[in-house]
Amino acid sequence: MTVIGERVPRADGQAKVSGEAVYGVDHEEPGMIWGALLRSPVSSGTITRLDTAPALAMPGVHAVITAADAPDAYAGWVLRDQRLFASDRVRYEGQPIAAVAAETLAQARAAAAAIVLDVEALPAVVDLEQAMTPDSPLVHPDWESYVPAAGPDFPRHGNVAAECIADPPGVDEAFARAYRVITDEFVAQRQYQAYIEPKSAVGIFRGGRYTVHTAHQFPFNVRDRVAQFLDVRPSAVRVVGHTIGGGFGAKLDAGLEPYAALLSRAAGGLPVKLVNTRTEDLLTCPSREGAITRIRSAVAADGTILARELEVIADNGACSGEMPWLAAIALHCARGVYQGGPTRVTARLVYTNTAPTGAFRGVNGTYLYHAVERHMDHIAAELTLDRRDYRLRLLFGDGEELLNGQVLHEAGILRQGFDALEALAPWADLEAGRRPYRGIGIGAAWWLTNPGPGSAVVSLREDGTAAVVTAANDNGSGAVSIGVTQIVAERLGIPPEDVFVTLPDTDIAGYDGGSQGSRTTRAVGKAALIAADEVVEKIKAVAAGLLEAAPDDLEVAEGSVRVKGAPGTRVPIAMVASTALNTVGPLQGTGSFVTPFPDFNPSCASGLLFPSFPTPTYHVHIAEVEVDPVTGTVRVLRYLVAQEVGRVISPDGTYGQVSGAVAQGIGYALHESLRIGEDGRYRERTLESYRLPLAVDIPRVEFVALEHPDPDGPYGAKGVAEGPVLLPAAVIANAVCDAIGRPLNSIPITPEEVLAAIQS
Amino acid sequence: MELSFTVNGRPAALEVDAADTLLGVLRDRLRLTGTKEGCNEGECGACTVLVDGLPVDSCIYAAGAAAGRSVETVEGLSGDQLGAALQAAFISAGGVQCGFCTPGFITTLVAVLREDDKPSEDEVRRALAGNICRCTGYSQIVDAVAATVAGRVAG
Repeated sequence: MTVIGERVPRADGQAKVSGEAVYGVDHEEPGMIWGALLRSPVSSGTITRLDTAPALAMPGVHAVITAADAPDAYAGWVLRDQRLFASDRVRYEGQPIAAVAAETLAQARAAAAAIVLDVEALPAVVDLEQAMTPDSPLVHPDWESYVPAAGPDFPRHGNVAAECIADPPGVDEAFARAYRVITDEFVAQRQYQAYIEPKSAVGIFRGGRYTVHTAHQFPFNVRDRVAQFLDVRPSAVRVVGHTIGGGFGAKLDAGLEPYAALLSRAAGGLPVKLVNTRTEDLLTCPSREGAITRIRSAVAADGTILARELEVIADNGACSGEMPWLAAIALHCARGVYQGGPTRVTARLVYTNTAPTGAFRGVNGTYLYHAVERHMDHIAAELTLDRRDYRLRLLFGDGEELLNGQVLHEAGILRQGFDALEALAPWADLEAGRRPYRGIGIGAAWWLTNPGPGSAVVSLREDGTAAVVTAANDNGSGAVSIGVTQIVAERLGIPPEDVFVTLPDTDIAGYDGGSQGSRTTRAVGKAALIAADEVVEKIKAVAAGLLEAAPDDLEVAEGSVRVKGAPGTRVPIAMVASTALNTVGPLQGTGSFVTPFPDFNPSCASGLLFPSFPTPTYHVHIAEVEVDPVTGTVRVLRYLVAQEVGRVISPDGTYGQVSGAVAQGIGYALHESLRIGEDGRYRERTLESYRLPLAVDIPRVEFVALEHPDPDGPYGAKGVAEGPVLLPAAVIANAVCDAIGRPLNSIPITPEEVLAAIQS
Repeated sequence: MELSFTVNGRPAALEVDAADTLLGVLRDRLRLTGTKEGCNEGECGACTVLVDGLPVDSCIYAAGAAAGRSVETVEGLSGDQLGAALQAAFISAGGVQCGFCTPGFITTLVAVLREDDKPSEDEVRRALAGNICRCTGYSQIVDAVAATVAGRVAG
């Protein structure tokens, strides 16, 4: 009897469907008051007047704080280039300038609005190309004084916040002898994560320590960021997690938490709650970055790629967050699944006077694969090759070496992905179904499972149930409420409903690397499995005495310890746990896990902050679309995914991640437009104008799970959640271009652009 | 002004301002926090409740307009046969991820299924045009509705 791969209801399901679940925005503390932020109305400027006296005189106000009340500290996940409040310069619309705490939310907002603020506007750095020119104003004139949060400094200069360059020999020679040189430029807009629960936080300053209640993907990162901003050691901050209403990467770095913490201190220790309005959330959320990607390939007459150049310029916004680490991802995607010659990669991350960008599911990969796969179609079209055949001819097999020297031992799985989709939807049939305004697209990708460290403590309780203490957080995926729960249940031989996992608390649980990069089921599942292994060994040792058998002859299953081969000779694990209390003490195990980075060549590139991709997964997608030539709207008729998952732990959880990621990818490809005006301000500012995919927009995804169990993963699991967002923009764009017979190289592909292309 | 209405079958009476929304009264005054605020502009549907059986965005519905009416929230629907069946189906079909939108979906779908005991998949998807889910891609929510409909037919 196994629960791995079975349909198990999520542990938090009943609380969520009944309205009982307490999310971050629902959390309250005794005596709690409310906060509000005054944010910059402009993207670039100098503060010439800031008078908080009118706010302090407002009814119900407990405290008003500005840069003058905050420590003189710089904070940042990778580079310490942020201050808590703008003091003289403002660098983006929405940047906090002051914070108010008052009896009610309405009083706090009224008081924030009463603060007198004059900002003398300066020209905003918005255009990525211009930002890199020598005569551009600098977003951070003091950039040279900034220091990394940890480790050595990395290549950066002026408005270039990070730079990763690989320049292997032979590129120019190959271009010189090419049959053809195919050149493309692609533009991708920003994408808002648009989780339905806006960010919030409750801060409490008590006993010389800060406690922050928040619904967050990465509580230990919040702890570290609050400590940086408030200039205290990390252990002076406690972060308590709550049920989270979606995050998708936007809730990995601190948002409102340091403001809530400092406001509480200013208000004499009263708990202070901050909640973003939807517009505040949209304006300041670290959205997926906009980027320009240029690719040139030197090709032979038969389509062989002799060499390639890929240049990407990505928008960092006004400060860095996680982004400098991610610049190296261009290296991993530029020649990631298809054979090619030497490849020159230049990735630059550029400061602008816009809201900071940050992590969003499938970081950087969404627009990089869009560029690579659109370019593959372009080459195939120029050489009149079938797009699928061409990809199969260049497709990686086992043992292929990447640009960073990493070897993909199992890249042959990619071909299994093409075969699996061929069985579901033969390419020839799809081709035969083509007619005016209907098209198909295909593409492939590889991706990582985030390697970050995790830990868990598993205790067997005296009634035979188990408690799991971990700072891992279920961001909604089910990675904890299904995955980790199932893994512990399986190992201890008890029903999943008898496994209870805590919410995160940095005072209680060991370090956890956050719900990011599809890591939780694998990394925390593995830590929990190691802990459960220890518990099982202890159960056997205690039961050996009760059953008068050797521990090695025992097995733990179905709620009992039994003698192998004599299942009638058994004792319930509840009795074992009770007995243990007075013999060896409570039965408890601990587990820690981190995935090492695969071997790579450190001299392959400069600025290689994310050097290689651990625990690779492989992905093949197909889209079939129909274009309405009158309205320009695109309808996705079929969407197919073949994906390497290691081993399916939860079928519903796995399918839910694939379906949800594809929906976000369809939004990215077709609907979600987060444009920036010349003034550096977002044009879309609410969910009315920011168009999210609806039930009528998303087809039922046809999915094939490819299972190659990972010997290091718990029961073979690899990451699942991020990979399926990488390719929808790529294959939908290819399908739309196929449908209308014209290239469209910007995403999202809006109806206006479709119509303009048709009419051109 | 005095607001008298029925919430989940129980009478409620309290003083409200003209500017108060039904959502604010439910969450902040009556402590029914199962109904969520996602956008406060009637776009996301997380705040959906039933007023005299019809789904409304409670974030843009004036509290005073509920006077004399019957309001149902996700908490009340747990005690409703159809509501409880939908809730169970959401869990078993994988229609819940983060769950923040779920109360709004359950509420909308109860109204849909009270009117039509066997809607097509296309009708369900169109009926959900006022509810945004960012996690699931909707298919497992549609499956949950199908399972609920099948259960009613069987049961």
